[in-house]
Amino acid sequence: MEAIAQQVTERVVDLLVSALDVNELAARIDLNALLDRVDINRILKQVDLNALLDQVDVNAVLAQVDLKPLLDRVDVNDLVSQVDMDALVERTDLGAVIARSSGGMGTEALDALRSQAVGLDQFVDRWVQRLLRRKEPAPLAPPALLPAQAQP
Amino acid sequence: MTARPAVVSYQGNYAGSVSRFAAYAIDLTVSSAVFALALAAISYGVHIVTGHDVSWNRSSPVVVVLYVLWQFFYFGYSWAVSGRTFGMATLGIRVVRADGLVLEPRQGIVRALVFPLSFLLFGLGFLGILVQREHRALHDLIAGTAVIYSWDARAAHLRFLARQAELTPPP
Repeated sequence: MEAIAQQVTERVVDLLVSALDVNELAARIDLNALLDRVDINRILKQVDLNALLDQVDVNAVLAQVDLKPLLDRVDVNDLVSQVDMDALVERTDLGAVIARSSGGMGTEALDALRSQAVGLDQFVDRWVQRLLRRKEPAPLAPPALLPAQAQP
Repeated sequence: MTARPAVVSYQGNYAGSVSRFAAYAIDLTVSSAVFALALAAISYGVHIVTGHDVSWNRSSPVVVVLYVLWQFFYFGYSWAVSGRTFGMATLGIRVVRADGLVLEPRQGIVRALVFPLSFLLFGLGFLGILVQREHRALHDLIAGTAVIYSWDARAAHLRFLARQAELTPPP
């Protein structure tokens, strides 16, 4: 009797499952409400990310990435403008390379002489402007050279 | 790395009085030395060829005329060909057209011709370098020229930092 009941139940369940439209049933489920009840942080705590990442072949992932469109979106000029060249030269071997490749004592002496002269030029000019009581700043460069200057 | 404003470069700016005066002092010294050497070489040549000694008197009209012609050639040729003399190259300055474009050879020669005018009236023509808004002397105004810095202070600053970095021992 029990075996018959078991068979009947299995048959009924089979008929019921085959008669059900699972997609329609899934569409009726409110997944958001369901997910709201899930504590994702708790799940994530149980996940061993290191072990997970160990299984990921990063090279294979990177091989599938098309870098060109990615790089096309990068503004290289903006990126370079953010580089602190002074710090770069001071902290890296780049400084030594520049120092070796850009002349020796002669260049050093010329740089010093010109810098001193420019400093004195500005000192004299400031005093002349003060004596003449000029308030409007004088043009820094001839018109054709103004746009070419990064900084006036 | 942090963003920092670029070090100001004076490249293209009007050159000031000290740079210009220093350049002229170098030019005067060099051109006078070359002139004296040339006279000495001529004297030596004449002595070798003819056996006679030739002495040059500074106040001699011939020497004065030769010196003036030499000065005109020295400055005129330098400005016409490259827009700078030896002294100007040393100080990193250059003569350009008033609008900033490259100097035409004709303007270089005109500048050399009218240059002595700035010495007249106790050198009042040079006063423009100090008080004129574009630091242009009388000969600049007549020749339609201006003097600008032509060296890159930014590059010089990087060279300075590079030398400092090379001198500093690694941590």
